[in-house]
Amino acid sequence: MTIRIKIGIVKEALNATVLEGEVQLEETVEHIYASDLMSDVLAFGLPNSLLLTGLATKQAVISAHMAEFKGVVFLRGKCPKDGADIYARDKHLVLLSTKHDMYDSCLFISSALNEKHHESVGTVEDQTVGDIILKEDFTIGGRDFANAGMVSTEMKEILKKIGFPHELVRRVAISTYEGELNVIMHASRGKVQLLVSPKLIEVVIEDEGPGIPDIALAMQEGFTTATEEMRALGFGSGMGLPNIKRNTSDLNISSEVGKGTIVYMKFQVQEP
Amino acid sequence: MTTKELIEKLGLKPLSKFEHREIKGIFISDMVSDVMTGAKSGNLWLTIQTHKSIVSTANLADLSAIIITSGKNVPQETIDLASKYNIAVLSSSAPTYELAIKLHDLGLDKG
Repeated sequence: MTIRIKIGIVKEALNATVLEGEVQLEETVEHIYASDLMSDVLAFGLPNSLLLTGLATKQAVISAHMAEFKGVVFLRGKCPKDGADIYARDKHLVLLSTKHDMYDSCLFISSALNEKHHESVGTVEDQTVGDIILKEDFTIGGRDFANAGMVSTEMKEILKKIGFPHELVRRVAISTYEGELNVIMHASRGKVQLLVSPKLIEVVIEDEGPGIPDIALAMQEGFTTATEEMRALGFGSGMGLPNIKRNTSDLNISSEVGKGTIVYMKFQVQEP
Repeated sequence: MTTKELIEKLGLKPLSKFEHREIKGIFISDMVSDVMTGAKSGNLWLTIQTHKSIVSTANLADLSAIIITSGKNVPQETIDLASKYNIAVLSSSAPTYELAIKLHDLGLDKG
């Protein structure tokens, strides 16, 4: 369902407070995504969406950013207290908070849509691919949930600056984010290498950790070895590896139980 | 409205074995903790969470039914556990936002 509504109108409809992004209230969103599961946002969220969620964490904002959403509405009066607003400010995402719950929020937005007519907006043009070769290394700390998403965010900025197509950057960012989360959830530590050539982007994530005993099983949607604690944080719905596979041109996973895992992702740069 | 009427009107797919009951209100969340805090007895629960913990959640909160939205695949383990405890697990291909609007259009209010 594609719609067109200004974030400012949503704010009024929900009687929401603006936590961040006052200047972006004029922006238009095309889809409403109501969910508390961030892996789903990453897997199925469309660009230019508005996220309605009860998960008031920085991770929700990072997920929204990776999926190219324009903003996040926190429900039931919730407000994140973990630096989400700073991240949102940096990435130009709107953060709203409403006392309403998910059901009422959906209805209020739908009402507002039926009442008003909204103008269409122009689209941003993609920049052309330059002729650059680049190699960057990053590290990930095991159990470092506070910094979860920082590596993929940095990587996304680098690729955006180079000028790769929007859609490609999104796929790389999402895949790297899922890989990063896997390291944080299961391993002691990991490193990420980004290799950029004009026609190919490669991301290699290598960790020291328990390894994956059955890779085929791990690739199944819904299969997860996440703990209750991790699930309470919104992770571990079993969509990580399937999500990566969906977004890469080629995926290779090798692993040794008791030693660690290497996830090798290839992204072909398609000519538009 | 009963779960039986809702299934017919929206073309939902029942996945578990259960007894029909009256729906009183609607609750939407994918976080079990939020459901335990906020949902009321008889609520219809919309979610994309398919982990088997939704069964005990629905049971303890005395919810009328769970609708898994967005056509999400529900693991057999969850379905079997739901049948064991007589909890209605229904499937809809519509995303949560759209289903919420449809429910409202049917006249179901939040309760």
